[in-house]
Amino acid sequence: MKMEADLKIGFKDKANKMLGYHPEDAKLSKSYIAVAFIALLVGGFLGLLQGLNRAGLLELPSWFNYYQVLTAHGLLLILVLTAFFTIGYFYAALSHNLGGLLPKVRKLAWIGFFIKLAGFVLAVIPILMNEASVMYTFYPPMAAHPVFYIGLALIVVGVWSCCIGAFIQVANWRKNHKGQHVPILSYFATGVFVLLFFALMFVAVEVLFMIIPWVFGWVDTINVMVARTLFWAFGHTLVNIWYLTAVSAWYVVVPKVIGGKRWSDLLTRVVIIALVIMNITGGFHHQIIDPGINEVVKFMHVFMSLAIGFPSLMTAFALFAVFERTARRKGGKGLIGWWKKMPWGDVRFLAPFIAMVAFIPAGAGGIAQSTNQLDQVVHNTMWIVGHFHLTLGMSVVMTFFGISYWLVPFISNRVLTPQINRLGVIQTWIWTAGMICMSGAMHYVGLLGSPRRTSYTTYGDHATALGWDPYLMLLAVGGTLLIVGVILQVYAVFNMMFFAPKGDTEFPIAEEEDNATKTPYITERWGLWIVIMLIVVAMAYVIPLTEFIVNAPPGSPPFKTW
Amino acid sequence: MNQSFYGLLLYIFLVTPPVANFMESLMVIHMHMQMPMLVIAGMLMARFFQKRFPRFFEKWNSNGVPGITLFVILMVYWMLPRTMDEALTSTLVEGFKFISLPFLAGISLRDSWKKLNPFGKNSIIISFTVLFIGLGWIYIWSPVQLCNNYLVIEQVTLGWAFLLTAIGMIVYLGYNFFIDPSAYE
Repeated sequence: MKMEADLKIGFKDKANKMLGYHPEDAKLSKSYIAVAFIALLVGGFLGLLQGLNRAGLLELPSWFNYYQVLTAHGLLLILVLTAFFTIGYFYAALSHNLGGLLPKVRKLAWIGFFIKLAGFVLAVIPILMNEASVMYTFYPPMAAHPVFYIGLALIVVGVWSCCIGAFIQVANWRKNHKGQHVPILSYFATGVFVLLFFALMFVAVEVLFMIIPWVFGWVDTINVMVARTLFWAFGHTLVNIWYLTAVSAWYVVVPKVIGGKRWSDLLTRVVIIALVIMNITGGFHHQIIDPGINEVVKFMHVFMSLAIGFPSLMTAFALFAVFERTARRKGGKGLIGWWKKMPWGDVRFLAPFIAMVAFIPAGAGGIAQSTNQLDQVVHNTMWIVGHFHLTLGMSVVMTFFGISYWLVPFISNRVLTPQINRLGVIQTWIWTAGMICMSGAMHYVGLLGSPRRTSYTTYGDHATALGWDPYLMLLAVGGTLLIVGVILQVYAVFNMMFFAPKGDTEFPIAEEEDNATKTPYITERWGLWIVIMLIVVAMAYVIPLTEFIVNAPPGSPPFKTW
Repeated sequence: MNQSFYGLLLYIFLVTPPVANFMESLMVIHMHMQMPMLVIAGMLMARFFQKRFPRFFEKWNSNGVPGITLFVILMVYWMLPRTMDEALTSTLVEGFKFISLPFLAGISLRDSWKKLNPFGKNSIIISFTVLFIGLGWIYIWSPVQLCNNYLVIEQVTLGWAFLLTAIGMIVYLGYNFFIDPSAYE
């Protein structure tokens, strides 16, 4: 009996080893993913409240007003959901690819986990007390309670801890595998953590050296332009960190799920390097209407923002090449007939696929917004909100959902049942319909002039404002569909985490094609890419920042506008 | 051959009047982009000359010291505010800039760098780091305009660019000191 049990354990261990499953690392990823989806649940409900408010269907009470809800919704979904999911996912990849996390790396990730949670709790308390309704961009001169910023600073420190852990893990692997390429998903992780590490420096300087002394009253005024610029050097990069995370699954996981191979390893790595180098320098397209920035500098940033379109087009090309090749190998015929051979009933394919398709209009909208003249029409309108619900809410988050249907079973040692798969497919279609209604309505009503970040008002029954109402109603319909999607998704995740039947799930990583050319080793020289990145960052920011600081207007005291 | 050709293309691009005018219109771009890019163009073209005149380089630059000395002299010369001013006002000096940076500095840097021992390489980087900190300090805190052609604000921008470059080089030196790349590759 005992021997049988021993044998069983031995077999289990072996199976785990083969699948690259490490129980302690899985626990870490599971904790991260669980926090991410709890944030989705709470943030989703807050989103519903806003949608209903904007449609004029619901008046929020004075003790929990629209701006509080908006700040919390943004923080939960933009910061907590994405950060926790990205870190949980990539740590699972590092553990799987690189033979398990080193004990000190795991410790760093846990330290990061708790610091981030503590920071998050500190940030939420003032929001609930209506002391921090400054939106997720926390632009000065609006000033929140100091505790809010201390919480944000702790979140930064927590993420840094995870970045350093990842660097140690990758460096250690490379030491033991000289001359080999870092496995592709870990390579994506390296790129993402490099970007996070450097992007967070900007926001850390903003919060620690500018905002905190100012809200505590140690200094009287703050340089608003510098603060906004530092915020967007970080914020714009964060956007692309989500995107790079989603792209990692498109390149590596989706081909495996559909039974194909990766199209080009070199192209994939070049896309990662290009995104790392060119990312931070696009920040000013978020400030394109801001005064005090020379047109030449704005133009340079717009150029850098649009330059990112190039690797995105490479991605689109590579992915559709994978789809077509795989489908034709399976007997797909005709110019578009091969579409029928794709596994449309598999949520692990369907969700990321719709996410990719959504990126076509989302990217196009982004190009429109980064163009100075076009942005004049939509700046600070609901269009912008529609844009990032299409990019983050669809392209990125639907990919995250698609990932969850194999990642959660993998880290929980359970399986994806056909029932949950079907639920996932239904969830995907509900989410798609909801997001099309909501984001479409937001885009259109934004073109008509409806402002963002504004609680429902008819402006004294002004005809123009009344004309927005039908679209705002459509927005609320979309929001309602989305909350159904949120509930289904969170149910699916926790079902797979705790209740699904036990079993082994594979970590899907597609192989390279048989006749693939060898990737040159220069792609592994991160030192070089980081130096080029820093040069590009210096080119983009030294001139305007010196201008803002040396020729600074009088600073601003803190304001509480609510 | 290929890289020499790209170096030539880069050189022609940089010399083209609209490009040169634009780059010279901002002090920091003049000193921190145009000049280094001219040196880089020279470094790319160096391959052609090394293949064409191997004996010359062997005879005159066998251990890399003469070449790097020439490079350092030219660099120091072009970092003086006065010389930059003159390049803008006198066509002759401007011509000297477009010839000296690629063909004297760039080529000699490419030919010398690999011949230097680690001590030589590190001392060059350390001395440039110190020089950059000094120049950064001068350009940022100088109470007066150092270049007739550029405003004080441009001078301050250039000063910060110098300081940031120096910080970058300190990071590189630290990285070089603590990390052995051969352990990873």
